[in-house]
Amino acid sequence: MSAINSTEGVTGGAYHKKRGLTYRSYETLAGYVFVLPAVLAILFFVVIPIFIAIGLVFMKYDILTPPVFVGFENIKNIFKDPRLANSYLVTVKFVLMACIINNVLGLLLAMGVNRAMHPAFKYVFRTALFFPVLTTSASLAVVWSYLMSANRGVLNYLLSLVGLGPVPWLSSTSFAINSVVIYDVWRACGYMMILYLAGLQAIPRDYYEAAEIDGADRFQLFRFITLPLLSPTIFFCVVTSILGASQVFDNAWVLTRGGPVDATRLIALYIYEKGFKAFEMGYASTISITLLLILLTITLIQFRLSKKWVNYE
Amino acid sequence: MTSIQDLPKIDLQAEKKAKGFRKRSPFFYVGEVLLWMLLIIMAIIEFAPISWLFANSLRDTKVAYNLPPSFWPTDFQWINYYNVIASPQIKFMLFFWNSMKIAAAVTVGTLLTCSMAAFAFARLKFPGRDVIFFLFLATFMVPATVVLIPTFIIISRMGLLDNHLALILPALTSAFGIFLLRQSFMSLPEALMDAAKIDGAGFFRIFFVIMLPLVGPGLSALGILTFLGSWNALLGPMLYLRSNDNFTFPLAIVVLQGYMGTGNRAQVLAGIMISVAPVLIFFLLAQQFIIQGVAISGLKG
Repeated sequence: MSAINSTEGVTGGAYHKKRGLTYRSYETLAGYVFVLPAVLAILFFVVIPIFIAIGLVFMKYDILTPPVFVGFENIKNIFKDPRLANSYLVTVKFVLMACIINNVLGLLLAMGVNRAMHPAFKYVFRTALFFPVLTTSASLAVVWSYLMSANRGVLNYLLSLVGLGPVPWLSSTSFAINSVVIYDVWRACGYMMILYLAGLQAIPRDYYEAAEIDGADRFQLFRFITLPLLSPTIFFCVVTSILGASQVFDNAWVLTRGGPVDATRLIALYIYEKGFKAFEMGYASTISITLLLILLTITLIQFRLSKKWVNYE
Repeated sequence: MTSIQDLPKIDLQAEKKAKGFRKRSPFFYVGEVLLWMLLIIMAIIEFAPISWLFANSLRDTKVAYNLPPSFWPTDFQWINYYNVIASPQIKFMLFFWNSMKIAAAVTVGTLLTCSMAAFAFARLKFPGRDVIFFLFLATFMVPATVVLIPTFIIISRMGLLDNHLALILPALTSAFGIFLLRQSFMSLPEALMDAAKIDGAGFFRIFFVIMLPLVGPGLSALGILTFLGSWNALLGPMLYLRSNDNFTFPLAIVVLQGYMGTGNRAQVLAGIMISVAPVLIFFLLAQQFIIQGVAISGLKG
């Protein structure tokens, strides 16, 4: 039996012999040919760029004139740049707010949609909640910038109907970052909902039934069944949303252009400004390498911690 | 004696509970009401800007600015759409075509390179396979923002500035896609490939004729995500495209928003609506499919 089931013995028909190859070398050749396009693409547009980025850390480069070696100057400058510190602060604020709200809201919405309800309701909710995910971030940010405009904006009009004062959505240095978060949540929480919904639906119903028979209440069901069994999904969503949110560009760019006065200058916007407006590509690369190191560290820590709370069956 | 009499009682209660007859705590109903309210409020919040966009894109340009806002079309100035499409300065249909061309090329390329590599990683044995796969997984961790500047330098050295290839070439593969499709290929039965091998099929035949059609769900998930990513991208086009004729939709809307000015806001909105409409229609037709695809990518990723 084992000889029949074994795949090692199957070396194929006459195909490779026609080409004068042994089966092994034919398979090797095919393997390399199959991975070649992807390898080339990754090599040219990920691997080589990383080495260039690392090289640029020690260079002064404005793309027009040849790069000049400056040693550790860029690295020193990083610690003396108040705008960079501010940009990281803004990014941390944004990432924390956006990730917490998106994940909590996404999970709650998924639990809402996951309940027994009329299929028509389900369809309406899912469509309304998920559609913004598919829209062009930049275009819809234009729409939101109209909605959020200070004087004649729809949001302030609606607030005035219930007697609330005008909110300086995009024009106040202290409030603008919240508006960028609001827009991000509007666009992303439906995506989180779908990911959590898939996770919830993968939990076998029997577990809930068994626990209910044992007299577990709703909170206990959530705490002792849903949460542990959903932990791989939660982990995936948290990790990817942190990675995504720390690189957000479109939202803030279209809504505020990073302003007012750097109040929404997320790190991606700052790298863009330094690299492509000021043409300090060496310095911009140095910043992007710091971002890489920070994100790597955060992700590694998350993987380390995940062993304590994530249940893989 | 008593213990025997007790037994059926307990069973009865358990059955009642299981069927949901048991008395729920007030806590349960509060939670239920809150969840419903959250669903309804969020659905309204998510939907309102889009219906506002549609309603106002159809308003007379002179009053599109006026309050109170309309969230439901009250006026039907389809002329706004006509003006956008027919405008001599703003070539919306050209932008549409540019976006479509780039997104289609990127999607086809990504599906091809990813599925080929994924097949090799999942089903072929060759020296160095696991090392190469590990390297792919490692690139997964590299944020796109980090390679932004070097990629720009490479592209400009290749003389591809203001060329659509600048947006297509760097997007031709995805480590995530390879990972996703590798899972799909690994879930196919081994015997399938052996049978084809015995029949004398080469690996290219096996791949294109037998294996590829069987990973349809994975392919469509990756295809949808890739297409949307490219269709919606702003930063890449902002960096690489210079002349108006090469603009993609998102770039055109962001850049031309300024030129159009506030007087023509209804037209800006009509333009945005045109860029959103194909996705909306596709979504309404293939909703189950798209949501499934997004869910697959999350579950396997």
